[in-house]
Amino acid sequence: MATTSLSSLKLVYRQGTIVPLVTSAVAGGAIITPVVIVLLRSLTTGKLGASVGFTLSNYLRVFGDRDIMPMLTNSVVYAAGAAALGTGIGAVLAWIVARTNTPGKALVELMPLYPILMPPVMKNIAWILLLAPRSGILNNMLQQFFGIQAQVFNAFSMAGMIWVFGLACVPLGYLFLLPVFLSFDPSLEESAYIAGSKPIHTMLHITFPLAVPAFLSAFILNFLRGLRSFETPVLQGTPGNIQVFVSRVYDSMAMEFNSGLATAYSIVLVVLSVITLLIYVRATRFSERYATITGKGYRVKVIDIGAWKYLTFVGVFLYFLAGILVPFAVLIVVSMIPYFDYDTFMQFPSNLVLTNYHTVLHHPSFVTGLYNSIVLSVILALVTVLAGIVMAFTIHRTRAYGTKIFEFIGTLPLAFPPLVLSVGLVIVFLGTPLYNSLWALGIALFVAYFPYAFRNASGSIINIHKELDEAAWVHGAKWRHVFFKITLPILKPSVGGALFYIFIEALRNVDVAVLLTSPGHEYGPVTLFDYFRVGQWAEAAAGGVIYLVILIVAVSVAKFAFKMKFSL
Amino acid sequence: MIKQSTIAAGVIVSMLLCGGTGQAAEKSAKESVQKPPAKERVQQGASSASATAAAARAFEKVSKELYPKAKQEGNLIIYSVWDVEHLRVITDAFMKRYPGIKATYWQARNPEIVTRVLTEFQGGQASVDIVLSDNAPPVIRAAGAVMPYETVQKAVLHIHDPTMPVVSLQIQALAYNTKKMKPADLPKTWEDVANPKYKGLVALDDPMRAGPLSSMLAGLRDQWKDETRFNNFVKGLKALNVPVHKSTSAMFRLVISGEYSICMPALLHDVMEEKEKHTPIDYVKTASPVVFPRMAAIYAKAPDVNAAKLFAEWAISTEGQKVIDSVGRESSRNDFKSKTSIEHAFPKGTKPIPVTDKAFLEDPKTWLDSHVKPIFE
Repeated sequence: MATTSLSSLKLVYRQGTIVPLVTSAVAGGAIITPVVIVLLRSLTTGKLGASVGFTLSNYLRVFGDRDIMPMLTNSVVYAAGAAALGTGIGAVLAWIVARTNTPGKALVELMPLYPILMPPVMKNIAWILLLAPRSGILNNMLQQFFGIQAQVFNAFSMAGMIWVFGLACVPLGYLFLLPVFLSFDPSLEESAYIAGSKPIHTMLHITFPLAVPAFLSAFILNFLRGLRSFETPVLQGTPGNIQVFVSRVYDSMAMEFNSGLATAYSIVLVVLSVITLLIYVRATRFSERYATITGKGYRVKVIDIGAWKYLTFVGVFLYFLAGILVPFAVLIVVSMIPYFDYDTFMQFPSNLVLTNYHTVLHHPSFVTGLYNSIVLSVILALVTVLAGIVMAFTIHRTRAYGTKIFEFIGTLPLAFPPLVLSVGLVIVFLGTPLYNSLWALGIALFVAYFPYAFRNASGSIINIHKELDEAAWVHGAKWRHVFFKITLPILKPSVGGALFYIFIEALRNVDVAVLLTSPGHEYGPVTLFDYFRVGQWAEAAAGGVIYLVILIVAVSVAKFAFKMKFSL
Repeated sequence: MIKQSTIAAGVIVSMLLCGGTGQAAEKSAKESVQKPPAKERVQQGASSASATAAAARAFEKVSKELYPKAKQEGNLIIYSVWDVEHLRVITDAFMKRYPGIKATYWQARNPEIVTRVLTEFQGGQASVDIVLSDNAPPVIRAAGAVMPYETVQKAVLHIHDPTMPVVSLQIQALAYNTKKMKPADLPKTWEDVANPKYKGLVALDDPMRAGPLSSMLAGLRDQWKDETRFNNFVKGLKALNVPVHKSTSAMFRLVISGEYSICMPALLHDVMEEKEKHTPIDYVKTASPVVFPRMAAIYAKAPDVNAAKLFAEWAISTEGQKVIDSVGRESSRNDFKSKTSIEHAFPKGTKPIPVTDKAFLEDPKTWLDSHVKPIFE
């Protein structure tokens, strides 16, 4: 053991990998500090504000809670179902965009991109209005136009929950898989074709299996997001009598104000996360098997899929319809009618009103909050993505001893519901000059979004064969040469995607940001998306439409005027 | 640390006590508790005009005393559950009335407010002056993080708490969708909602989540003082076998959309706001309003104590109440008339159901576990 550690240290010194190691340790420290604090809180008695002593009572209560098993089962079914649906659709979309000759290339590239801009909670509300059993638009249309009396659709069911959250999981799957398909060594597929394999057969047996690490990375993230997601279970689950585990965590905070108990409940999620990660690590333990980017030069081959190309176009368009067009159209109408019910909805545009837009545009924090959130989100995306790549590089490319621990640390924040995590962060900053500043908010968002940057980089870096940097190491290169000249340029497609994703997510974060904002430091999403939280759906829809239009214009300008790629 | 017994003894509920007639009064009487002591009633009934004048004088006096000190402090920091738009209007009016004091706010939900305040309290942080909310202040007080302050205008309040000034009321109403329910079919009281004929029509707030329905149950139990009646009511709600909702506001939207016909319960100011927009929503006037105090609690380590006291007094004054009313929030004064005041919104003689059970307010989970859970779950 001692010899291994010593030789590892020597190698670290020789290759100059002390820099990525220290960077990873700093990032890991920022993540682990609030996590340790909330874990310690789970070992304390009493509520917030009360004097505390160490105890195991919170854990005894959690493991003695007979109600948690059915809830846990619901959570796993819901999270796994949505993650499988979302990541699966995302993977297929990425393959269609990257590798097929589907017609309308420019349109096909854009269609999977725009739904990313729509916040999940907006999708929730739009789909509730569409799929509610009695008042839903679709059921009423079936009744009105086809005489179907049965309530065919039900937003308040497990299927409804999986459908809506699954749609929210598609962007991650798409952004994680696209770079993999774009940087694929075609010789592997060509060998299959030479052997007489058909395109679909090749896709199923060669292409997709090689994308397993990135797929698993996206699936894990979506699964963990599903486990701790609260909006869909609250808005769609409880009216259908479907209780999920995370509601126990929130009840501990909202009813008992006991962050220790909430954390103890969260530990169940941590255990599930660790099990999931162990499965991932085991599935990708021979990472060389998935390396598709090698030292050989090549050009990504577009596959002629024949008449299937029209079907793939229809598939992308259907996703575009479900992902943004239909829910967005519903929200636009809802934002412009006096109130929502089916009759009023169908009378549009004769009953058009613009008062909701007036209300939102006169929101006291709209302009300053939006400015703060845009500046912070840009900086945050850059820092987080870079740190995520450095940590993934440290794990997979340096030979320093014990770096695998970062695999868990880097993903840990995802196991904690945002409110629990933000309590830890508040305690970290309390009494320091950072408290009540935008810096504290920035660091909190860094901790919250680091897993996305890290898992994205980790999934992509596995696809780069080690022979590339090994060649550099052999020639005496230091880490900075390998990192900046080899790894980073090759990861460029996934970097764009991760930057885009984290920017969009941070721009609309409420859960983590809410405790870290302070009087006089407004953060756009916290106030704007509060319309959703207080149930002002018409104003929320108007705010969401304004927000979405700003983002769509920004993305379109970036894509067409500045030729930005966003992984495309 | 505040002595709990002092708080319990000090909570005085001064209700509208005019004698009612007809069905409304009869129904209200059915839901109400025994009347407060005669002495108290007579005093209130006869002194409302003089109480108003006395409260105005007391406010002027305390305002003159506090303003110079508050101006010296220069700041006022509010944590609140109220909408940002409302907070902006209220703080702007306060700053205009008292130049030299800069008021800022942080808005979040009750669990977030409690978490933040108590974490700051444990960390010794002098971070906030006023917590302006409903559910949060009693919990914060129970942890010893509230500086007791009794308003000088207590005589004109519907609900008075000697440690935390009550600046507004949260009023629950039994709302229904006018397109879905005929007036003749409506429940007349809260108890009627548990009638099996409303099965499938009721959107029910989760009684175990310490939300509005939980508050109502606490208020009804306190008022009825009849365990059998209370248990039957909860059993009746359970027997409806309808799904429960964890978001009252989302539930209210579903009633408006026609997914459900009856909202158990809704907030009066939401109903009034929707009625003004000609939304197909109304409320049952014979179901007594459940009133929950919205307080301006002064934080134990408040850096600007005088500004905090001045704000609380100003918010209760007629001037402050006009501003609070202008954003659609209900007045806490019994001499203030507006569209959401109980006298205006409900028939003459209606007796509100106040939520003042200390055990519920300070530890809702334990209260619900002992009084509701065994029956409902």
